[in-house]
Amino acid sequence: MRSFEYVRATEVSDAVRLVSARPDAAYLAGGTTQLDLMKDGVLGPGMLVDITRLPLAGTERRGEALHVGALTTMEELAADPTVAERLPLVREALLKGASTQLRNMATIGGNLLQRTRCRYFRDPDVPKCNKRLPGSGCAAVEGVPRMHAVLGANERCIALHASDLAVPLVALDAVVHIQGPTGERRILLRDFYLLASESPDVENHLVHGELITGVEIPLLPAGALSGYLKVRDRMSYEFALTSAAVALVISDGIIHEARIGLGGVGSRPWRALDAERELVGSPPGTEAFRRAARVAVQDAWTLPGTAFKVELAQRCLVRELRTVSGVAA
Amino acid sequence: MSGTVVGAGINRVDGPRKVAGAAPYPSDFNVHHQVHAALVGSTVAAGRVVRIDTAAAEAAPGVIRVLTHLNMPRLERGPMTALGASPPPPMQDDLIRHYGQHLALVVAESPEQAAAAARLVAVEYERTEPLLDVLDPKAPQVIDPWGTDSDRGDTEAALASAEVKVTQTYTTPDNTNSPLGLFATLAIWDRDRLTVHDTTQWPSMVKETLAAVFEVPESSVRVLVPYVGGAFGAGLRAWQHVILTVAAARLIGRPVKLVLTRPQMFSCVGHRPDTVQQVSLAANRSGELTAIDHRTVSSLAMEDDDYEAVSAGSAFAYRCRNVVTRDVQARLNRPAPCSMRAPAEGQGNFALESAMDELAYALAMDPLQLRLRNDTDVDPRSGLPWSSKALRECYQVGAERFGWSSRDPEPGSMRDGDWLIGYGMAGCSYPWYSVPCSARATVSRDGSALVLSAVTDIGTGTYTVMTQVSAEHLGLPLGLVRFDLGDSDMPAAPQAGGSGLTGSLGNAVVDACGRLVRRFAELAAEDGESPLHGVPPEAVTAGGGRVHVKGESSRGESYIDILSRNGLPELSADGSSTPASPEDLGMAPSGAFGAKFVEVRVDRDLGLVRIARVVSAIDGGRILNEKTGRSQIIGATIGGIGQALFEDTVTDPGTGRIANGTFGDYLIPVNADIPDLDVVFVGEPDRFSPIGTKGIGEIGLVGIAAAVANAVRHATGRRVRSLPITIDDLL
Repeated sequence: MRSFEYVRATEVSDAVRLVSARPDAAYLAGGTTQLDLMKDGVLGPGMLVDITRLPLAGTERRGEALHVGALTTMEELAADPTVAERLPLVREALLKGASTQLRNMATIGGNLLQRTRCRYFRDPDVPKCNKRLPGSGCAAVEGVPRMHAVLGANERCIALHASDLAVPLVALDAVVHIQGPTGERRILLRDFYLLASESPDVENHLVHGELITGVEIPLLPAGALSGYLKVRDRMSYEFALTSAAVALVISDGIIHEARIGLGGVGSRPWRALDAERELVGSPPGTEAFRRAARVAVQDAWTLPGTAFKVELAQRCLVRELRTVSGVAA
Repeated sequence: MSGTVVGAGINRVDGPRKVAGAAPYPSDFNVHHQVHAALVGSTVAAGRVVRIDTAAAEAAPGVIRVLTHLNMPRLERGPMTALGASPPPPMQDDLIRHYGQHLALVVAESPEQAAAAARLVAVEYERTEPLLDVLDPKAPQVIDPWGTDSDRGDTEAALASAEVKVTQTYTTPDNTNSPLGLFATLAIWDRDRLTVHDTTQWPSMVKETLAAVFEVPESSVRVLVPYVGGAFGAGLRAWQHVILTVAAARLIGRPVKLVLTRPQMFSCVGHRPDTVQQVSLAANRSGELTAIDHRTVSSLAMEDDDYEAVSAGSAFAYRCRNVVTRDVQARLNRPAPCSMRAPAEGQGNFALESAMDELAYALAMDPLQLRLRNDTDVDPRSGLPWSSKALRECYQVGAERFGWSSRDPEPGSMRDGDWLIGYGMAGCSYPWYSVPCSARATVSRDGSALVLSAVTDIGTGTYTVMTQVSAEHLGLPLGLVRFDLGDSDMPAAPQAGGSGLTGSLGNAVVDACGRLVRRFAELAAEDGESPLHGVPPEAVTAGGGRVHVKGESSRGESYIDILSRNGLPELSADGSSTPASPEDLGMAPSGAFGAKFVEVRVDRDLGLVRIARVVSAIDGGRILNEKTGRSQIIGATIGGIGQALFEDTVTDPGTGRIANGTFGDYLIPVNADIPDLDVVFVGEPDRFSPIGTKGIGEIGLVGIAAAVANAVRHATGRRVRSLPITIDDLL
């Protein structure tokens, strides 16, 4: 039986010190991904540092931003009044993720660090996986990749980042607060992730031992229109085929600000900056939305099994832009 | 007999135990001194084991024994069963036939130790190219495996001269049964006596198989399964993991327990095999079918069998003079298929009823009218009248409840915002099946009854409906009757499967109860002190806890009094049922019939398909319990929706590995996918079976996939001929 040490940390600094000191140590929060991967033999940490007792839960309004402690659960954040009022797209994305049971366990910090659902990554009997065994190849590319990425992906790795929450967060320019052995730092969430096409096995900029302590989400301006659309085969408990988080500020018939995140398509939660630029200054309308959608997926790298996602992602984005802006078909 | 107990929608008698968590499922059983097993599966689909290194596993903490083909005892294959051959015995040689094939069994003190050590078994393979595609010309084919192929009239000529014709190819994927309860086996040897707790739908068969394989008397083997956590057909065989667990327990001299993992449930206990079906239909302009040609290739394991006559149902679905059906199975390096709820019909009906819909479009005819026009009161194979068939009534009542007449035939014409609305329908049947069964009824001196048979209740309501049947035929209130099952020491019984159990068992229970009443009547008739003294037993019936003269309930006496005066603690009678021969009765035995009506909504941009309504009108003969019967149809309808929109067991091309063997990746419907489901029973008790039932375990699933596909066609103008129907098909 594979044994590991279990330590319950009571101070952030203790937790960081413990994990930093051991290359095979890992943090344990809600455990909804970590424990699955351990049971499946994908991860085998020698020590788990339980951080669930650290004082990192809860939200706090700080001016025009909401600070979210890393240990806040998905359900708690979805129920937060500021989120409901000023960040409806975040609430929608949270409630369309996982299941109630999982959302009661899963934390915001953990959600951002969730591992891909790729079944080739999650099965250690599969010999080819550049994420699990760097240099071994990619079985998903040769397999059945319907649930895989088309942006930030290539023949080395097509693993999808499956978080719903992270999609509006990259669109909103959320900032990740990180505590490391030598101090604190902050990083924009959209700069936090690496592309699977470039580094399948290294997924983000965290250095071993660094701990996400919170996320700061800038609030949308009053009057902004926003929403999250998730397209999937069944109505609940499934990851997105494609999704779109959209926020628009429209006045005098012109789009003044646009924020777009795409899910279900990228090896990281995808910020569609070019599509946003396409919209700003235009009147809201189907033509502008379609142009923006085309731009959003122009760099797609597809396989026969994933090609449909390029079309679906565009339709998903156009639909959500229409919905939030109230533009009729 | 009051006659009001049977048919009433009483609650499940086992319901309180189930919802309280007090019903023991196979994986819940534990015994003193037991050890635990874990399986090691092949990670290639074809080839040979060159070397298997178990040293690290054997050295791991808690490990007691590692079995492989090198040290596994040589075993005979189990006996033939009513459903075909037993699976081949496990781990007898170094050949690899499919990915996930059992290569080793690790036994340890704890389940965690066994699972961890199983990862340490290192296997070296010699790989060969696996055969994975059902259409691979290199795959060995089994032609007409069950002698079910049909040839009637001159189909070729009828197709050549057809006024209107449809020829299309339809495909269905592998589906996996996916019961919630993980299959479990706990094997306990006591010298040469064997007790096994096992997830099975058929304790008598498992007993016979284990006795034959392990060469002990059948009377020394006991198989127990009071509750089954679902099975949907996966429990119809004594699978290789059962044999391995029993073998390990014997070798080690301690009880061994094995619980399969969810991924193993995808490769070790069967699945619905994929099919490629070609259907040609011909009709004259008035919509009379002039030819049906239905040819199927379905997948089969390299060294195992499966009864899956996919095309065969098309030979008796409609009145048609010219019919060809062909079934071929292709042997592949994939895990063994087996029955999954509505085996064969589930796939075959999708093709036939999709083709009927296509024919209706080609004829510019209402799909419902096309079916009514070709309905038949006789079995077209034999010309004998059906023993009961209310399919016409299913169509009429179902259409009425659904509001079929408000359907605008123009595709895409019905809308609600971004949603395209489609109405689709399908007719369906599930063939009659019946095999011998036995039961024993006992009334004790306190006037309570116990009725036994070695059947299982796989969630269908067998405990409940047989309590009702027993109570009615013994003339006792429900509270004084216990029906028990799930123990191979009880009277021998067939499987819960093939929509055949309720009829076979019900007739056996009726027979046992009738014989028991007669025994009481005979005792009373011979007894000078009884009010029934001298009354011929055939003039006596049961009611109110008593036996009495028919039509004269005051003249009789209670079970309690008869037993007491005779100094008997109890009285028992054995009963049995054997299906009659169709020729003797001059009619074709009917299975259930049904008509399915579905409303779908399809998002015109996003391709989302949502089921808005389903109406199922079912002719199931006599319904023993309106509530559990309805639940059967509802559950199967959900299975049908899964087949239509979600379920797809994916095999990796090249490796033969199942790519989505978890509940996160293999989609089955969630509650949010299921609207209110309307179920209506029509028809009369069947004339062929004394109890009048026809079996409703499968009919609820059949026809749903076709009705959904037909509704999607109506909504969108697109015909999807490959299941499941997903977003990518509709962009």
